[in-house]
Amino acid sequence: MSRATAQYDRGAIEDFGRWREFTAGMWAWVFHKFTGWVLIGYLFTHIAVLSTAMSGPGAFTSTIQGLEGQAIVRVLEVGLLAVAVFHILNGVRLLLVDLGLGLEHQDRAFYASLILTAVIAVASVPVFVEGAF
Amino acid sequence: MAERYSSFAPGGTSWLLQRVTAAFLIVVLAFHFFLLHFVNHAADITFAGSAARMAEWGYYATMILFLVTATFHGVNGVYNALINQGLDGTTKTVVKWGLIVAGLLLIAQGIRLANVLAGGA
Amino acid sequence: MSSDASEPADAAAAEAAAAEETSPEPAEEEAAADEGPAVPEPQQRRLAEKRARSGADAVLDDAERAAPAVEDDQTVHLRVYRYDPEVEDKQEPRYDDFHVPAKDGLSVLDALIWARDHYDSTLTFRHSCRQAVCGSDAFFINGRQRLGCQTQVGDLEEPIRIEPLPHSSVEKDLVVDMEHFYDQMDAVEPYFQSSEDPPGELEERKQSPENREKVKLSTRCIWCSACMSSCNIAAGDNQYLGPAAINMAYRFAMDERESDDATEHRFTTIEQEHGVWRCQTQFSCTEVCPKDIPLTEHIQELKREAVKKNLKFW
Repeated sequence: MSRATAQYDRGAIEDFGRWREFTAGMWAWVFHKFTGWVLIGYLFTHIAVLSTAMSGPGAFTSTIQGLEGQAIVRVLEVGLLAVAVFHILNGVRLLLVDLGLGLEHQDRAFYASLILTAVIAVASVPVFVEGAF
Repeated sequence: MAERYSSFAPGGTSWLLQRVTAAFLIVVLAFHFFLLHFVNHAADITFAGSAARMAEWGYYATMILFLVTATFHGVNGVYNALINQGLDGTTKTVVKWGLIVAGLLLIAQGIRLANVLAGGA
Repeated sequence: MSSDASEPADAAAAEAAAAEETSPEPAEEEAAADEGPAVPEPQQRRLAEKRARSGADAVLDDAERAAPAVEDDQTVHLRVYRYDPEVEDKQEPRYDDFHVPAKDGLSVLDALIWARDHYDSTLTFRHSCRQAVCGSDAFFINGRQRLGCQTQVGDLEEPIRIEPLPHSSVEKDLVVDMEHFYDQMDAVEPYFQSSEDPPGELEERKQSPENREKVKLSTRCIWCSACMSSCNIAAGDNQYLGPAAINMAYRFAMDERESDDATEHRFTTIEQEHGVWRCQTQFSCTEVCPKDIPLTEHIQELKREAVKKNLKFW
C-alpha cells in the first residue's frame, strides 16, 4: 500500500473464517480452484503411472490391475470423478458467463452444478467399485 | 505488453485459449472417463487393450490432442491462480518458466508413452 | 442571550435557558465570543441558535435517560471496530459495544453518529451526504460491504458488527486508506478524451439515446470501493485494477463520443495482465455495489471486445 502512516494488518479478515457468509459466486471460485489443483496434480500422476508401459506390457498391466484391486483406490476414483465432473459443470457455467449468457442466474447455475455433480458421483459408485469390495 | 513469450501469450490470447481448450476438454474428458470406466472397466485395463486402442490413428491423435490441451489448460490455470494470489517479480518469472518446462516435459513423456502403446505407429 | 435566537420556538428558548444552566460550556463559549475579537453579528446569531438547538437536544436526552430503564428491544446493539495507533489503549484493535435507541428508519450511519455524539466522540468514520451519492461511508456491516446510510438497522441481526472495509489498511477506527483505490481509478484515466473536434460546425458531440442507455449504469459509480474490497483477486493481487476502475474504463470506452484512438488507448490499458483478465467472475462486486451496477457484466463485455479486437488484428 502507498502511505507510510501506521496501518494495521488485519490479516485475512474475510477469508475462510467467515465461510458462512460466502456467496454462491465465491464458493464457485473456491471450488473451481480447488478441483483445478487436484486435476493438474492428477494429470502428472496419471502420466507417471501409465509410463510403466515403457517397461513392457507385464509391468503396465500388473501396475494398473494392482492399483485397481485396492478398495481405497476405487474410492479415490469416485472422488476423482466428482472433482472432474464439478470442474466440468462449473466450467460450463463459466463459459456461459463469459459469453454473457444467463448472468442473472449465475448463482442458481452454481447450485445446479453442485447438485448434478452429487447425482452423477452417486450414480457412478456401483460401476466404479464393482468387484473391489 | 509488446513482449511475446514462447507458450504464454499475454492477456487476451491465453484467456481465450483457456476457454477454447476448456470447451474441447469438456467433451474429450467426458469421453475418456466414459470409455475407461463405463464401456471398459478400469480393473480390466491391460497393456494389450490400451495398445489396441492406440493403434487406431483417430484415437491416437485425439489422445495426443487431449494431452496437449489438458496440459496447457492446467498449467495456465495454475499460473493464473498464482498471479491472483499475488505472485510477482522474480518469483513469478521463475515459476512461469518452471511451469512451462514441466508442461513441455509432460507432453514429451506423454507422446513417448503413446508411441510405445501404439507400437511405434 | 436567548433573545439572539430568533428562529427556535419559545419553548426551545426556554429549554435553552435551562440548558445553559445545566451545561456550563455554552455559556462560557458565549461569554468568550462576546468579549473576544469582533465576531460578526450574523455568526454570533448562528452560533447562539446552534447552541439553543443542541441545548434542546441535551434536555431531551436527559429526559429519555431519566425515564424508566430503556428495555433491550428499544435499543440496538452495535459492535464497532476500534483502532487508533496514537492512543495506547487502542493500538491493538478491539470491539466496542454501543447501545443506541432504536427508531423506525434508523440507518447504520444514524446509529454510529448517535453513538459518537452521546457515548464516545473519538469514534471516527467517514460520512457526508447520508443519501448514498458521495460514497464516503462504505463499511463492512455484518460480514458484507454496505453503505452505512443505505443500510437499515432494522434489517440486520444484532449485535451489528461494524468494521472497516476488508483488504485495505486501517488508519483509525472505521477509516481505511483509500489511496490504493484512487491509484487504480486514476490508472484508467477516468475522464472524457477525444482527439477529434466535434463534427462540422457543431459545438457539441452528440450521443444517441441507445448509447446513453448502454453506459447509463456504469456512470452511477460513487467511488465507495465496496466492490474492490469484496474482490478476492483485488485482495491477492495488488496490481489488479479492480471492478470500479474497469467499470470506469467501460463507461468511457463504450461512449461513442470518444475518438477511436482514445478508445484504443483505453483498451490497451485494461488489456494488460492485471487488467480485465484477472477477473474470475466471482460476482461479489456486483452483489455488493450500492448503486446496483452490473460490474461483472461490464468487465465480461470488455473482455469479449478485447478478444474481438485482437482477433481482427491477426
